[in-house]
Amino acid sequence: MEGKTVISRIQKTVRPGETRARRSLYLQYMVEPFFYLSPAILLIGAVIMVPLIIGISYSFQSIELLKPFASGWIGFENYVDLWRDRKFWIAMENTLFWTFWSITFQFLLGLGLAMLLNTQFFGKKLFQALVFLPWAVPTFLSALTWAWLFNPVIGPLPHWLAALGILSEPYNILGDPKLAMWGPITANIWFGVPFFAITLLAALQSIPDELYEAAEVDGATPWQTFTKITLPFLAPMIAITVMLRTIWIANFADLIYVMTGGGPANSTQILSTYIFTTAFRKLDFGYASTIAVALLLILLIYAVILLWLRKKLVKI
Amino acid sequence: MARIELRDVAKRYGSVEVLRNINLEIQDGEFIVLVGPSGCGKSTLLRMVAGLEPISSGDFLIDGECMNDVRPRDRDIAMVFQSYALYPHMDVARNMGFSMEIRKAPVAERISKVAQAAETLGLTKLTDRLPKALSGGQRQRVAMGRAIIRDPRAFLFDEPLSNLDAALRVEMRLEIARLHQKLGATMIYVTHDQVEALTLADRIVVLNAGDIQQVGSPLELYERPANKFVAQFIGSPTMNVVPVLGTETGVNVGNGVEIRMLDQPLTAQAKELGVRPEHIDVLDNGAGDLSAVADVVEHLGSDTNIYVNAEGIGPMMVRKHGNIPVKSGDRLGLRIQAQNAHLFASDGTALRRAC
Repeated sequence: MEGKTVISRIQKTVRPGETRARRSLYLQYMVEPFFYLSPAILLIGAVIMVPLIIGISYSFQSIELLKPFASGWIGFENYVDLWRDRKFWIAMENTLFWTFWSITFQFLLGLGLAMLLNTQFFGKKLFQALVFLPWAVPTFLSALTWAWLFNPVIGPLPHWLAALGILSEPYNILGDPKLAMWGPITANIWFGVPFFAITLLAALQSIPDELYEAAEVDGATPWQTFTKITLPFLAPMIAITVMLRTIWIANFADLIYVMTGGGPANSTQILSTYIFTTAFRKLDFGYASTIAVALLLILLIYAVILLWLRKKLVKI
Repeated sequence: MARIELRDVAKRYGSVEVLRNINLEIQDGEFIVLVGPSGCGKSTLLRMVAGLEPISSGDFLIDGECMNDVRPRDRDIAMVFQSYALYPHMDVARNMGFSMEIRKAPVAERISKVAQAAETLGLTKLTDRLPKALSGGQRQRVAMGRAIIRDPRAFLFDEPLSNLDAALRVEMRLEIARLHQKLGATMIYVTHDQVEALTLADRIVVLNAGDIQQVGSPLELYERPANKFVAQFIGSPTMNVVPVLGTETGVNVGNGVEIRMLDQPLTAQAKELGVRPEHIDVLDNGAGDLSAVADVVEHLGSDTNIYVNAEGIGPMMVRKHGNIPVKSGDRLGLRIQAQNAHLFASDGTALRRAC
């Protein structure tokens, strides 16, 4: 009896000539999904992975347009050079300085602006539009404008700073190695505040009013409401935007390149401008790739730390 | 514990007046329910007491002290919100102890008070959970815990049960009643559900379109409504109201039948007669004041609801206790219990019975 039913079941499902074996679980669960995903994988591979790998491979080669016969694989030679390169370490220090102060001021001013825009006042719509304007100005144009603003011959800023006693006399800070970095940082703050204002305003508007009312009835002062309700709510958005902007700013060469070109005496040279000048002024693509890989690693480590912190701190 | 007084309070948004002539005195330890249809201003009134909405005119006093311009955090009033308004990033214990945390009360005191409140509300096992991991009823309890931990001068409830399912609502209603007995605190409770109002309140304030219609104990509102609105709003099923012609001795209903109402004065002014479904007797066909045809009959076991079509009047509803053998299409005689009927003048005010 037992045998008969088994046979009859097999005969029902399998036609003559077909295999009687079950389909392999391995094939079914491990391989099959990737067939369906393959178009996307191929596209991502072609657009992202291939250029990335080629770029990284350049860092292990000597590719200098001015020395066409010396090109070829050279192992870690570029990295050894990088470790010994004083300009690289200066650029690294400048990158940290530039990124830290840009992001700090952009974030604090953006948060303040978002909180102001989250209240009710006359002409709010107009103000919102104005606040977001710097975002729409081409970087090249804003860099030029700021460079002129800092020029004592045509710009008012040095005269104002001198009148306030910050500068001893109205001179161009972009020419002073000690202060030059603050020029592009100022321009960058002006340029980046709208981004924080937009994103944080959106996050602020998603906080339910009742929570503020409940806190008020519970006896919270405005400062306590801010630290105990608003900030915890904004935390996820803050973590993401700060991370995005940090990566962005660390890679952001346009403003510095136009305003100071990395000078004077490399005092405003950051990694991304150093990469740019190495690749397109010295035409040394191999070494430029090496610096780029170093920057990539630093930003990867930074992103991992920030995402871990976010997971740890954010409860909602 | 507090006595709360509202004197001639009004609320205006621009030129729109949403509340006017609000005069109310709430005794220490009293449970007051504000009830009315949506948009009548009851929540606005509660928020004005909490300090979340400014008072446009009039005076608001707690224990004789004018509180018009005092900020919410200095009023020492606790509020339970309709949406609970729990802080989603804080666990249950921190949510409940938040008011003590920001007042920088000693940590040991805070912990013991939170534990005590959690015990009272049956939340002891949940104190380390976040609000998102709680059910609706548990969230409601946490919101109440947040209020009771403060030992405030008054509690405000803004439709606290409207987000719960029917069974849980009954349970939480009992819990609020118990809480009031235990704490003996002044409570103001807003609802649009008359069952909550009738079961919880010491006194009910009925609001409509920004005016107080009547203030009184639940039975007072049921037995002696001040006007047609209160009469129809309080009591379920709704009171039948039929147009009548007042005479010296009673009223004439539709088909010329006179209902004698010798104990009611001023019957000549009556324009409408109101009678609750439970105050109509069902008799055999031909007997009583009116003859009617049963349209729909609902047998609820404990009660029987009969929707009738009364001759010369139109649709009415009759409710009788117990299970009575009436079928749809039956011809019935109805008798209106004159001693329980209400008469309304043309402007809707009730013509008071001499008593």
